[in-house]
Amino acid sequence: MSALQIKAEDLSVVKNNNKTVAFKTLGCRLNQYETDALVTDFSQAGYELVDYNAEPDVVIVNTCTVTNQSDQKSRSVISQTARKAKNAVVVVTGCMANNFKQKLESQENITFVVENNRKSSILTLVDAHFSGEIVHPDQLPQDVFRYQPVRKSLHTRSAVKIQDGCDNYCTFCIIPMVRGRATSRPVAEVLESVRMTVENGFKELVITGVNIGRYEDGTVRFEDLLSMILEVPGDFRVRISSLEPDGFGDEFVKLFAHPKLMPHLHLCLQSGSDKTLLRMRRMYDLTQFRRTIKKFRDVYPEFNFTTDVIVGFPGETDEEFEQTMEAVAEFNFSHVHTFKYSVRKGTRAERLENHVAEKIKVARSLSVRELSVKNQISYFASFIGKTQDVLIEKITNGIANGYGQHYIPIRFKASGAQKNTVHSVKLTEIIGDDEDCYLLGEIIA
Amino acid sequence: MSLLRPDMKMDESFYKVEEIRQLTGNTFSIKLPKARFAFKAGQHISLGIVGGNQSREYSIYSGENDENLEVLVKEVENGYFTPQLRRLKAGRMVEVHGPFGKFGMEPENAKTGKFVFIASGTGIAPFRSIVRTFPDIDYTLIHGVRYSIEAYDSHEYESNRYVVCTSRDNKGTYHGRLTSYLKSCTFAPETQFDLCGNSNMIFEALEILKEKGFDRDQIHCEVYF
Ligand SMILES: Cc1cc2nc3c(=O)[nH]c(=O)nc-3n(C[C@H](O)[C@H](O)[C@H](O)COP(=O)(O)OP(=O)(O)OC[C@H]3O[C@@H](n4cnc5c(N)ncnc54)[C@H](O)[C@@H]3O)c2cc1C
Repeated sequence: MSALQIKAEDLSVVKNNNKTVAFKTLGCRLNQYETDALVTDFSQAGYELVDYNAEPDVVIVNTCTVTNQSDQKSRSVISQTARKAKNAVVVVTGCMANNFKQKLESQENITFVVENNRKSSILTLVDAHFSGEIVHPDQLPQDVFRYQPVRKSLHTRSAVKIQDGCDNYCTFCIIPMVRGRATSRPVAEVLESVRMTVENGFKELVITGVNIGRYEDGTVRFEDLLSMILEVPGDFRVRISSLEPDGFGDEFVKLFAHPKLMPHLHLCLQSGSDKTLLRMRRMYDLTQFRRTIKKFRDVYPEFNFTTDVIVGFPGETDEEFEQTMEAVAEFNFSHVHTFKYSVRKGTRAERLENHVAEKIKVARSLSVRELSVKNQISYFASFIGKTQDVLIEKITNGIANGYGQHYIPIRFKASGAQKNTVHSVKLTEIIGDDEDCYLLGEIIA
Repeated sequence: MSLLRPDMKMDESFYKVEEIRQLTGNTFSIKLPKARFAFKAGQHISLGIVGGNQSREYSIYSGENDENLEVLVKEVENGYFTPQLRRLKAGRMVEVHGPFGKFGMEPENAKTGKFVFIASGTGIAPFRSIVRTFPDIDYTLIHGVRYSIEAYDSHEYESNRYVVCTSRDNKGTYHGRLTSYLKSCTFAPETQFDLCGNSNMIFEALEILKEKGFDRDQIHCEVYF
């Protein structure tokens, strides 16, 4: 650690500085949460939150590097930002900042490059810059959990970060290199953060991290922590961000009987072929995955599962891909986030043999997408005539938008209902497909 | 309550190579001082050479209470990293991250369980660590190699517990592929299986064990490539 390290106690900030700040976030829920926490930091310090087209004084780009496409998007957002906000302080952070630190640091249009483990102190860096101090991002304290509970957010739902990093070393994945090794936030801090986020008015919390199923603080495992979170008093519901399909037992299934815990999981399958799963160094096989799904659906038949699938992983044969298609059909995922495999430098899969041609990846990706849309429509349609409790996220032209318990997007005439309130809605019709698919309903309470 | 945690710990460590132990023409072990490095038998580290720009994962070959931290490395023809490791001499600095991984043995389990360890090539590494850490463990180690000379440190295992399957010479316990040997075996229903090595061997072994009626939950895998 540098001798010039700024101490955590020095992190007090100046209020009302009449400066404006804009944020641009790419990638996962965890990144979104970290942006939300920074929004809270900056707005408490008196910065006004503006759109990044409005010539802000500071722009913070929270990047992603999980696929080649994310790199491209991140790069294009950075250059757009620099072009539009010519005089702004441009801070680039997130996973791309870790993966391409030196390259980004050499770019003239970027003022600061801040790695993930120092992201929580960006306000200190920016404040120091405006007060004329010369602080290098490497002098900021390293702490992946220093984020304060979200108060002001770009969303109605707030995440609570319980964990960071991953030690699984799946062969395709860059995350251990850019997020570091698995580390869990102490129980007391998590519960305090939950209480404060609920006090700040959020009605829905998303439990977030890189590999949250591997949460471990002393003897407290993920399901123990979740059970404690559900017992925090207050009127709120809890969702779980994506989860690896290993490492949890029957107690976890039982927890979903709790009215606060919403019946949806994004359980990452990645492939339906046991051979491919082994090459990916995934810790489960299809039989175990099937068993997990069954455990839930035996108790909660309408339980919603969504998933991630990688197509065209090195060595994936037609037969192995077919097994993925069969699994997607069998498990009736209502949405499949399909990734065409893209080489991440430094991962083990980069050095695997038999890389798959782009043309084949595109075709496989399309097939999964089509099947996913079919699944989605049949799953959503099964809710017509039923009632869901919808948390209103926004109201546009008198139409309320939100999600029901099962994470189905729902719209209905607001009829005086307010944002951030929960209403019973009877579902009448399915509209659109894929990203634009939603259920239409009528408010009944 | 304060939400600040200024005491984040760093996990980088630099070690001086103490000894290179040549085991065959292309396989060697690297011995490092253990210092305060704590791990659980079965875990792996990420190893880099100071001044280099890449690292690779290696299962820990030594026992939890051994004096040294040791890894077993096979030089891969046309590989990137292993030819560099092969050129290492005692005294050079390496960088160790970790330990990582859930593959391994719970001490309570080691006392009461019945284990079959199945390894291909250098996949024997975590099992040597387990056997050195828990000398009283009830195990059978089935090791698949091409030549009997690749039965690394075989004298350390009790002869009735170590089966070496050699596919290219007949100087092992069994002449043929590990998976052929496995097909001919019978195991007690409560046996727990730990598999380590290349994914093709692991896939085939898993299929054989499942055919024999063992549940996937009784089987743990560590895939090298
Ligand atoms: C958790 C884990 C633990 C590991 N433990 C060990 C260990 O204890 N000892 C060890 O020698 N290796 C181990 N490996 C493999 C090791 O990390 C490297 O992949 C290996 O040393 C080759 O590196 P390289 O740069 O020379 O080859 P690369 O240039 O990376 O080429 C990789 C190719 O070499 C082949 N290959 C990889 N490992 C081996 C091997 N061990 N034997 C034969 N062919 C191989 C594969 O075909 C692979 O596609 C482990 C891997 C993992 C994921």
